[in-house]
Amino acid sequence: MKLNVNSDIAFTYLWSRKKQTIIAAAGVMFGISMYIFMQSLMKGTNDYFEKNSFSNTAHIRIYNENKVADTHLLDSSFKDKSTKILVNPKQVQQSLGLTNPFGLIHSIWKDPQVAAVTPQVSATVLYTSGSVRLNGNMVGVNIVEEDKMFDVKGNMVKGDFRDLNRVNNGILIGKGIADKLSLHVGDNITVTAGATPRIMRVVGIFATTVVQVDNTKSYVNISQAQNLVGKDRSYVTDIKVNLHDYNNAPVKARELEKMTGYKAEDWVQANEQLKAAFKIRAVILNSVIGVILLVAGFGIYNILNMTIYEKIKEIAILKATGFSGGAVISIFLQQAIYIGLIGAVIGLILGFNLTLAVSKIYIGAGNLKYLPMSFYWPHYVQGVVFGIITTVAAGYFPAKKASKVDPVTIIRG
Amino acid sequence: MTKPIALQSEKLTKYFYDPVKMPVLRDITMEVHKGEFVSIVGKSGCGKSTLLYVLSTMDRDYEGTLTINGTKVTGLDVNELAKIRNSSIGFVFQFHYLLPDFSCLKNVMIPGLRLGKYSYKEVEDRAYQKLKMFGVEDQALKMASKLSGGQQQRVAIARALINDPAIIMGDEPTGNLDSKNTGIVFDLFQQLSREFGQTLITVTHDEDFARRSDRIIEMADGEIKDHGH
Repeated sequence: MKLNVNSDIAFTYLWSRKKQTIIAAAGVMFGISMYIFMQSLMKGTNDYFEKNSFSNTAHIRIYNENKVADTHLLDSSFKDKSTKILVNPKQVQQSLGLTNPFGLIHSIWKDPQVAAVTPQVSATVLYTSGSVRLNGNMVGVNIVEEDKMFDVKGNMVKGDFRDLNRVNNGILIGKGIADKLSLHVGDNITVTAGATPRIMRVVGIFATTVVQVDNTKSYVNISQAQNLVGKDRSYVTDIKVNLHDYNNAPVKARELEKMTGYKAEDWVQANEQLKAAFKIRAVILNSVIGVILLVAGFGIYNILNMTIYEKIKEIAILKATGFSGGAVISIFLQQAIYIGLIGAVIGLILGFNLTLAVSKIYIGAGNLKYLPMSFYWPHYVQGVVFGIITTVAAGYFPAKKASKVDPVTIIRG
Repeated sequence: MTKPIALQSEKLTKYFYDPVKMPVLRDITMEVHKGEFVSIVGKSGCGKSTLLYVLSTMDRDYEGTLTINGTKVTGLDVNELAKIRNSSIGFVFQFHYLLPDFSCLKNVMIPGLRLGKYSYKEVEDRAYQKLKMFGVEDQALKMASKLSGGQQQRVAIARALINDPAIIMGDEPTGNLDSKNTGIVFDLFQQLSREFGQTLITVTHDEDFARRSDRIIEMADGEIKDHGH
């Protein structure tokens, strides 16, 4: 009971009007719990999609892009655009393979930011089983490294992905292919890349969340893929690079482009729509939360305004007995802050429990079992900070008004 | 007189602007000595309450100068005035204006806590003493709204005294009281001025009350007609 007299008065006012205090605090509570809940849902979803996009996209992919012949070779020496050495440039079919891929991989590994590098052979193929044919993409990889980068294991429905290394002509096929060609683990499948068809054995079936991938993609051992397309062991079409921090990918990709002379595509470029979706969700979320906090703020503003209207004589007396304007502001602002704090604490607990409850809702779509919710502590800190800012802002104006009360006019009536 | 001057005003002039500019106080020059018990009387509308609010430093809209305990208060800012009111002026109104959400004791304590000169415990003890002086110490822990009118006014006076102000001002402090309570309050006021040397300035309609005080200042039309010396 040794409170500062301003706090003492603020507490007494709050206590003597419990109902209004509770209602005002409930407004803040809903605002903050909604903030936490929606932030958790959004971050969970974003993380999920981001992780998912990394399950089939490397942070950086280096490949040989067909280029249009350069018609301006002489510009750099003539310093103008006067001379064209070609008037009708065309795309030139080049080998899709990279030159000296293992040398490149070796030099990429030297970068301390790089977490993983793996070569890949990709080819468009035709899958045949019986009389049914399907178009698709086959990638030849080192399956163990591939698993480290993209979590192949997590997507496996049947079979063991490591069998790719054990079975000489093994192949992992997408679930869509398996369904359409009616294939099971152990069955044979004919794969045609270029001219020569080859019979492979299905050692595993995987399912991602992307139907398009499941319907077309298959994994084989990299040497098998080189064999299938009729190339030698140094034939590599893509080098996939993962970094320790994927946010550095755009910068690192430009560096690698300069270093290798090939096209280096970072995951941001490959997933523009994902980034756009993140941004749109952030806008939706922030506007909803903004509205909730605004409403809570108005609630506090209203209640304090009413309190001041009812207590205007008491404020006048406080001022007559020597309370300065600052002391009066302190009394009413403290009321707002206490309302905010009470609301914030309950809001945190409610928000956490709401998040926890929703994270148990079963979804069961693709590899997504439960609603992806993140429990990320900065959301809770932000929630409290926003809650307090709102209540202080909402409390300041009534408090300022109270401090301006002129005791003479009020007491003399 | 050899007693020091507690409050002095020089050529106080104040106007009301609504509906038209009209002087309510004209060139009021007066002084009140320390320990004096002064009553200001006059017809309704003569400006006596207005004068009191100017003297109390709450009303700052006037011309002329006002000096309290040797400090010129004219021109000080609101927060400095609030400090002066808190420490040196006790105010008693016609209506008690206690804070209904607090106990009587707390009501008395609040200006004392605001002053911050004494610890919480000391302020509490002093508040009890003041309530005892007015015979309402047994009501100390009741809510202010639960008391009778006379008791509430006595608590309000105790509140005015908590910081031992040099000057106590009353705007018809007995206006809402019956004759018995009026008597009690008057005796206490007299005791404060005679025994504790506190200065009292009251505005009153009660002729009997005024006659028994040390000096009567009579006002009419915003001017002092009789200083009562």
